[in-house]
Amino acid sequence: MKRPDIDLATQLLYETLRIRLVELRLIQLYPSDRIQSPVHLSIGQEAVATGACAALRPGDLVFGSYRSHAFYLAKGGDLRQMMAELYGKATGCCGGKAGSMHLAAPDVGFMGSSAIVASTIPHAVGAALAARRRHTDQIVLAVFGDGATEEGVYHESLNFAALHQLPVLFLCENNGLAVHSRISVRQSYDLLEHADAYGIPTRRCMRGNDPRAVHETVSAAAVRVRAERRPMLLVIDTYRQMEHVGIGEDHHVGYRAAAEAEPWRRSDPLVTETELVARFTPEILREIDDAVAFAEESPWPGADALLADVA
Amino acid sequence: MGLAFKIETPVETRSAEVVSYRDALLTTMRGALEDDPNAILLGQGVDDHKGIFGSTIGLAAAFGKDRVMDTPLAEEGLTGIAVGAALGGLYPIQTHIRADFALLAMNQIVNLAAKYRYMFGGRFEVPMMIRMIVGRSWGQGAQHSQSLQSLFAHIPGLVVIMPATSESILSSYPALIRNHRGPVLSLEHRLLYDIGFRVDTTAGAARTPPMGSRKLRSGKDVTVVATSIMVLEALRSAEYLAEIGAADVELIDLHCVSHPDTELILDSVARTGRLLVADTSWQAYGVGAEMCRLVCERDPGLLKAPVRTLGMAPAPCPTAKSLEDLYYPNLRRLTDEVLRLATGRDQHGVPLPDDASATDVYKRFKGPF
Repeated sequence: MKRPDIDLATQLLYETLRIRLVELRLIQLYPSDRIQSPVHLSIGQEAVATGACAALRPGDLVFGSYRSHAFYLAKGGDLRQMMAELYGKATGCCGGKAGSMHLAAPDVGFMGSSAIVASTIPHAVGAALAARRRHTDQIVLAVFGDGATEEGVYHESLNFAALHQLPVLFLCENNGLAVHSRISVRQSYDLLEHADAYGIPTRRCMRGNDPRAVHETVSAAAVRVRAERRPMLLVIDTYRQMEHVGIGEDHHVGYRAAAEAEPWRRSDPLVTETELVARFTPEILREIDDAVAFAEESPWPGADALLADVA
Repeated sequence: MGLAFKIETPVETRSAEVVSYRDALLTTMRGALEDDPNAILLGQGVDDHKGIFGSTIGLAAAFGKDRVMDTPLAEEGLTGIAVGAALGGLYPIQTHIRADFALLAMNQIVNLAAKYRYMFGGRFEVPMMIRMIVGRSWGQGAQHSQSLQSLFAHIPGLVVIMPATSESILSSYPALIRNHRGPVLSLEHRLLYDIGFRVDTTAGAARTPPMGSRKLRSGKDVTVVATSIMVLEALRSAEYLAEIGAADVELIDLHCVSHPDTELILDSVARTGRLLVADTSWQAYGVGAEMCRLVCERDPGLLKAPVRTLGMAPAPCPTAKSLEDLYYPNLRRLTDEVLRLATGRDQHGVPLPDDASATDVYKRFKGPF
């Protein structure tokens, strides 16, 4: 939520902290089994979402993946409705039919998230085609991980967006992992050179845990995409602190070393900015308490919802 | 019925009453673009000189190439782009010159388009149409001939139609494009493109509902439920049997495979007690099986005889004409099945019509498509 009382840099850190604290609460709640939905946590990657969404206008659209808690909240999705959705309650953002992997908030331009890797990338391109046809000044953000770039539809989407010069900002959250597989065993190409072959301008941000750095990169790109009405690709290097799905850490299981996480943790503003974290944590925790209470008290969807909105 | 339905030789000079399947398609595509400035056509070759077998010809010149868009060869991507365009307020109509190519887009059709509304609790709608053409004859072979309605109709969230006549196109396409707020998949049949149908073209003429099924002929002996080109085969068979006084066939064009008019079918079976299902695809888990489910779940006692079904041979489609003629059910086999049902005897002794293959009757093109 927008805080008029603080400057942009502080706002970005506040938003990032808010998402971190929400997911830490999910970790606490998960063993209770009240959230019966697979969760793909963004811990370590929150700054990509907060930095990117702050660079967009409210009318711009975002299409996400199954790891979308951060983007949903950063784009302005309602926290109470997200918590209720994770609980499977009727008051959830999708009435309990979506769970963690399919969050959506069309009223703020968060246009859905899919558990099928790369599947929303062409949706962003199509929405940009609609923006052009309907003469809006919207730009559309396609958010995906580095693994998604191995899917054929990623190529198809880049080609079409470049061919028709559509206002899409492709944003790759590069955490270097697809579940447990490292990028070195998956990709024969360089992400930026690959996009360059389509004539799509690219930028890289190597400080994906700092929302200020991400914001600077995405802002410049968003201005350019909006003005030139043509696609760009950003690669934001980041680090997934938790296991692929679930609430655990998994640096002990052997596919990555604990030492890899250290530089990211040491430079994490949510670790270094102790004063700011201390200042905002209590009020955010109160907001989270309220959202959890809302979810717990909300009703389950009834039988009438089972066959509603099928076709 | 109120609507005349007769196979006609397509007329060179267009009459107000005989409309070819192709011209019905072209009319509805033009109408969609005229009615809604946000409607677009997307497809490989949609703007070229052949215009999807004539069904989009001239539209790029009339409406511009940004609305009648030739596309890269990227079936999944383009269906995803269509979904995104629908979310952004457009009405995309995607074309596949053969239904087989839609298999490349199954992820977007099944995992995304069919589920976008439900999965997000009704927060989104994806109004769009995917037209795909079923090929047959002239050596279409294994990958240009598949009739995939059962795959699609299995998936909740999709409306699947198989227009068998020009009237079916004129009654369903404009209404679905205008009013249905989700994905519509239409399986058109290539051999029907050249067929002329009598259609009441007067403005405001009564039209059958866009979804559901159509009773094309009333009869008391046997109910035939047919899809796509098998509707025409069944009609030819029914007319032959009526002519020789051998059987009185009630013919139902299933039309909307995903949402058939169950009551129309069950009411018919309740009266005739005999059901033949003539489908364009394989029988296993197909339209015939689904009709059996409907009848058996309602009351197997409606049946005076076991249900009979017709479909393609349970193999990929062979290319050689000698095999292809065996592969598809023809007029002779269909008529034989009706007579077995009507008489209760396999050796019914009634003469069968000439064994001219459907492709010889319907085909007016010589390839390459």
